[in-house]
Amino acid sequence: MMNEPIVAVEGLVKRYGDVVAVDDISFQIQEGEIFGLLGPNGAGKTTTINVLCTYTEPTAGQVAVGGHSVTAEPEEVKRAIGVVPQDIALYPDLNAVENLRFFGRMYDVPKARLERRIGELLKLVGLAEHAPRRVEHYSGGMKRRLNLAVGLLSEPRFLMLDEPTVGVDPQSRNAIFENIQALNRQGLTILYTTHYMEEAELLCHRVAIMDEGRIIALDTPQNLINTLGAGIIHIGIKDVAEEMLTRLRALPQVKAVARRDDTLAFETVDAQRALLDIIGLFNETDTPMTSLEILEPNLESVFIQLTGKQLRDA
Amino acid sequence: MKKLLNIALNELLLLRKDRMAAVWMIILPLAMTTIMGLVFGGFGGESEPVAIDLPVVDHDGGEMAAMVLDILSQTENLQVETEYDEETARQLVTDGQRAGAVVIPSDFSTAITSGQPTALELVVVPGGQTTPLLEGMVRGVTSGFSNVQTTVEVAISEVQRATGSYDLDYEGIANRVVATTLERLEDPPVQAQITTVGSAEEEEFDIFGQVVPGYAVMFAMFTVLSAAGGILEEKERGTFKRLLIAPIPQWSLLGGKLLAQFLMGVGQIALMFLAGALVFHVKLGSSLLGLALITLATCWATTSLGILLVAVIRSRKQLHPITTLVILGSSAIGGSWYPLFLMPKGVQQVARVTLVAWAMEGYNRLMILGGSLSDVWVDIGVLVLYGAVCFGVGLKLFRFKEA
Repeated sequence: MMNEPIVAVEGLVKRYGDVVAVDDISFQIQEGEIFGLLGPNGAGKTTTINVLCTYTEPTAGQVAVGGHSVTAEPEEVKRAIGVVPQDIALYPDLNAVENLRFFGRMYDVPKARLERRIGELLKLVGLAEHAPRRVEHYSGGMKRRLNLAVGLLSEPRFLMLDEPTVGVDPQSRNAIFENIQALNRQGLTILYTTHYMEEAELLCHRVAIMDEGRIIALDTPQNLINTLGAGIIHIGIKDVAEEMLTRLRALPQVKAVARRDDTLAFETVDAQRALLDIIGLFNETDTPMTSLEILEPNLESVFIQLTGKQLRDA
Repeated sequence: MKKLLNIALNELLLLRKDRMAAVWMIILPLAMTTIMGLVFGGFGGESEPVAIDLPVVDHDGGEMAAMVLDILSQTENLQVETEYDEETARQLVTDGQRAGAVVIPSDFSTAITSGQPTALELVVVPGGQTTPLLEGMVRGVTSGFSNVQTTVEVAISEVQRATGSYDLDYEGIANRVVATTLERLEDPPVQAQITTVGSAEEEEFDIFGQVVPGYAVMFAMFTVLSAAGGILEEKERGTFKRLLIAPIPQWSLLGGKLLAQFLMGVGQIALMFLAGALVFHVKLGSSLLGLALITLATCWATTSLGILLVAVIRSRKQLHPITTLVILGSSAIGGSWYPLFLMPKGVQQVARVTLVAWAMEGYNRLMILGGSLSDVWVDIGVLVLYGAVCFGVGLKLFRFKEA
């Protein structure tokens, strides 16, 4: 039985003048879920988060968080959520405790509970020993961890993390992953945006892949990867005859062939066997290849398959 | 309201944590005030009189010459030097090392006592700044001796007429006249009575009474407008957005920041006035309430100007040079550096567009011209209005959220 979703987005549109940042997207996030928004920079992920946290008003559509409309009941939404912004939104001249204390007061956390919560969070993110130091002296990873701690101060039901690992060393990244998984095990619902597909694969129960303001795929990471079949082969070409394409599509190990500019993308039943057949046919017809690539079955490949673009420089 | 106060307290905590704040808010203003006070006035209003070194060459060596030296030596602001010969004294004047020199001719005493014409020579360079002063002093001396000579002539003439005898002790009569004249110089029978009106304290211009409020206002503007720029810094850093998505009313967020800026301005001016009173012995005037109200009104207007500038200028890079220009420009023409009431009328009129002019007019009236609270109501009113207009327009144009 499906629970009441903690986030319900229906037909969300956000325009800035002529620029459409988010173009008619719909999704739901269930209680206890880690939901990933995966996409390149400019895909619309941050704009979506800005709408969900009441910072930006939607141009059109219905958005509810915790059962409250972001436009009609923004104060209720604010009290239900925690946000970890992409920026290191901290006061560098203050130390960790002073930062947490100030933001805690902004969320009306009672004094005694706040002091207890500060201690718990510093321990959680591994900064207890560094608490008296000014934040300006922290490494990038330590700042990111403190940024996460501030988002958790009010003990929210729903936490939004906007690219929380940008510029972070591997050690801090792993620490952040562990924190997120531990928080989720305690029942916290999480929206996680990233353009690192391996993070989405590792953390998220479901992933929405965004490109140019639209959601182009939404499912569990495994189901999305499964759509690639047994593997994807990309072959660069200068020119290819329609007859050649017909013969390629008829190969027994090939499920489908798509032509995108100067590249042929093969969805295969078995990539290794299909490759032998494809090369044989190219040799037989004396058709030149300019490049050859076998894509690993992962979310990055899914994105490439769907958009024809690399995720990181799309 | 609680959140507004917490935001204001956080701003003050950030100020306390800022290592450069003490330099900007305390050390630099006090250093500038001290330097300007010493350059344009004296420490504590007490300045040493300027002494003019005056070589006097005595070729006479007689009693009358000694009297000339005595009179010049007792003259205020003159330092008589008798160690030079005439050639050296003239050369010192020619070289500009001395403002002037006096030469007493060899027959000076004889001429005085015998009624013969004679002259004290004053050697000066044309156009010297102290030449008129020296001329006046030497003419005063020669005038005295002319009177002595005239008195001797009249006395002898009268004695001759009364006794019919020409066998008189001319020198003795002359010496007695001179001796009497000298006594009278100590206690003249006809004196000039100088009457002063009003309070000497009020008329005395204490440079620190100008410099302390002038620099207090200027540095308060730097402090407040710099803190206003902090809003842009917070927008760029992301903390402003973080606060906007917290359950805080927007008026609390902006109000807390403005309250902190206002308090920083008040603290800056109060600190300068305290230092002015304790260190420079500046006279604060008779109305401390008036000073307090002028200060509050000035800080209100400055805080409001800050929100207006932050609303119009949306990047810190642009804000910094513009606020510097606004502060230095308005300080220059508004009377922070030089009393507004001593400036040309045209400049005074133009200066009315600046809040500094109204603030300084108020401070000048209270601290220099001896005015009371009733004399500064207009200044306070204009500053409050100035602040209200800037605040209204600034609030209208201010964007909480960036696209």
